Amino acid sequence: MSKPNFSDKTALLIEDMAEARIMQKKMLNDFGFKSIEIAMKAESAIELLRSRPYDVILSDYNLGNGKDGQQLLEEVRHSHLIPNTSTYLMVTAETSTEMVMGAIEYAPDGYITKPFSQAMLERRLLKLLENKEQLLKVNKALDQNDYETAINEAKVVSEKHPALISRCNRIVGDSLISLERYEEALTVFRTCRKESRMPWAAFGEAKCHYFLGNIEKAETKFRQLTLDNKFFVSAYDWLAKALIKKGEHEEAQAILVDAVGRSPKNLLRQIELGKLSLEVQDNLMAEMSFRRAVFLAKHSCFNGADVYIQHMTSIVALAREGDIPSRQIDNFQTTLNKVHQNFFKSPEVRTEAYLLEMELYSALGDKKTMNQIEEVWNHDIEAGQASAPCASAKKRIDHLKKA
Amino acid sequence: MDKIDISTILASAIHESKNHLGTILYQLEALKSLNLDKSGQKSLGKIEEGMKQLNDEWVEYLYLYRLASDGYEVLYDYHALEEFLDDQVFALAPSAAAKNLSLEFNTDESLTAVFDERLMTSVVSTGVYNALRFAQSSIHISAYMEDSYLVIAIEDDGKGFAQTAEEEDELLFQKNTGLGLYFADLSAQAHNSEDRKGYIIKASSETLGGAKLAIYLPQ
Repeated sequence: MSKPNFSDKTALLIEDMAEARIMQKKMLNDFGFKSIEIAMKAESAIELLRSRPYDVILSDYNLGNGKDGQQLLEEVRHSHLIPNTSTYLMVTAETSTEMVMGAIEYAPDGYITKPFSQAMLERRLLKLLENKEQLLKVNKALDQNDYETAINEAKVVSEKHPALISRCNRIVGDSLISLERYEEALTVFRTCRKESRMPWAAFGEAKCHYFLGNIEKAETKFRQLTLDNKFFVSAYDWLAKALIKKGEHEEAQAILVDAVGRSPKNLLRQIELGKLSLEVQDNLMAEMSFRRAVFLAKHSCFNGADVYIQHMTSIVALAREGDIPSRQIDNFQTTLNKVHQNFFKSPEVRTEAYLLEMELYSALGDKKTMNQIEEVWNHDIEAGQASAPCASAKKRIDHLKKA
Repeated sequence: MDKIDISTILASAIHESKNHLGTILYQLEALKSLNLDKSGQKSLGKIEEGMKQLNDEWVEYLYLYRLASDGYEVLYDYHALEEFLDDQVFALAPSAAAKNLSLEFNTDESLTAVFDERLMTSVVSTGVYNALRFAQSSIHISAYMEDSYLVIAIEDDGKGFAQTAEEEDELLFQKNTGLGLYFADLSAQAHNSEDRKGYIIKASSETLGGAKLAIYLPQ
């Protein structure tokens, strides 16, 4: 196998501090990268990652006021914005390392602790690229969702490179879960946990129990994971999922409230909490979660109309409960405006937005405004810009008319 | 105002100073690209080594604080010992070279074990910095298995633990306060597997004749 070299590789450097950025850029330059692009914060990094893939991503954990490096990583990995074949190296301070390594579910390929010399960075990058090279076939298969091949290749790699055994076992376990072969996955994770005490193995085991319907066992294990590692917030999400399966919605909501407190910038968790809160009719909490989610969605990989619609839905639910403060109506309008700006090209979204607006004014007892909105809506339907109400929407309209 | 725990204040003060040091180290990196003459390069090297050591010590104190206050989450992972020790020697070699000491490691290339990499990185650097002060010519790091414990040992050819302890009484406020050993001990103890806990042993080196610090980590 040829030694990895940087001259045919592209790099993305994400760092908010000018001094460190200049220094690291210079280091990468000296290594001979084919191209190096720079983002000063997570939000602009996402834009760049959308436009093209990078071989190496060097990101600071601390990125100022926006998302941190770990949240960025979780988001881009979750939405497959970066392939498994790319290398993600996180730059951390001592205090942030455990937040990164504790994340377990979406861990970077490696981390380097500040301050580091040029020689140290080069060495670390070469090592990671070498590992990527060794895992190339595995990662290519994962990128194509070809889990069978990924499993077979991972087994080959772990035979050849003992240092990668742990990583390969994890890939095998996770791939088995993706293939819904939970019993086999359970065996892999259980052996790994006994041998290595690795938290991801305990996490994998718990997930298998969840999928196999052993909810009690899954709950116990997820709960233990939250106790063992306070930075492993995904364990809270899964604990909440297990509780929902048991029908304990309110307890699940309490768990998510706790998790959101620990990582308030996680968009998907905010959405989960919002949905769950709507379900247990805690509309105030739902509104708060969706409002945060709307705020977070803008510069994320998950900027869909859904989040906005759900925020408006929660305000309608609040209004139906009784008098709501006028700032909530302002909140509704703000989010509605964003829907106008970003999603009104979709006839379905447009229809849902009009309907929610009608529902709000109906709940407020303002029939006149409600009727005006319906007129505009009908006009848009005729113009083909809004879709005709579907069956469930028709029911909601009938409901409004009767009120 | 509420009374704040002094150790917490000290820990965050160290943290801030350490970050400041990091910034200066970055700037030092820029100095390296200037065409300095030999003596200039030498001084620069010394400054860099000194600052790196200072940084590593502060990292040690921060971990020590967290270990002692139960705020440390041990992160186990699988590591190939050859790779791990190679990393340590790579990072510490300039410090050894600056004192004309040799620093080498030795382990079975197939040896893998489970431990907290960051913590052990700090423990090894603490051990090596300590050995740097006493070694005559060489320092040796090794890793091997012993009764299902991973042993990481740092040996030197200095006077050994017994003599240096006596000397310290004379030089009451000299550098060594035993903090390094205490840190190594806490770090070892933080590693556990079922009912077994890690520990350290201070001994004399059979191969080099000086001190031997062995860290035992249950597997």
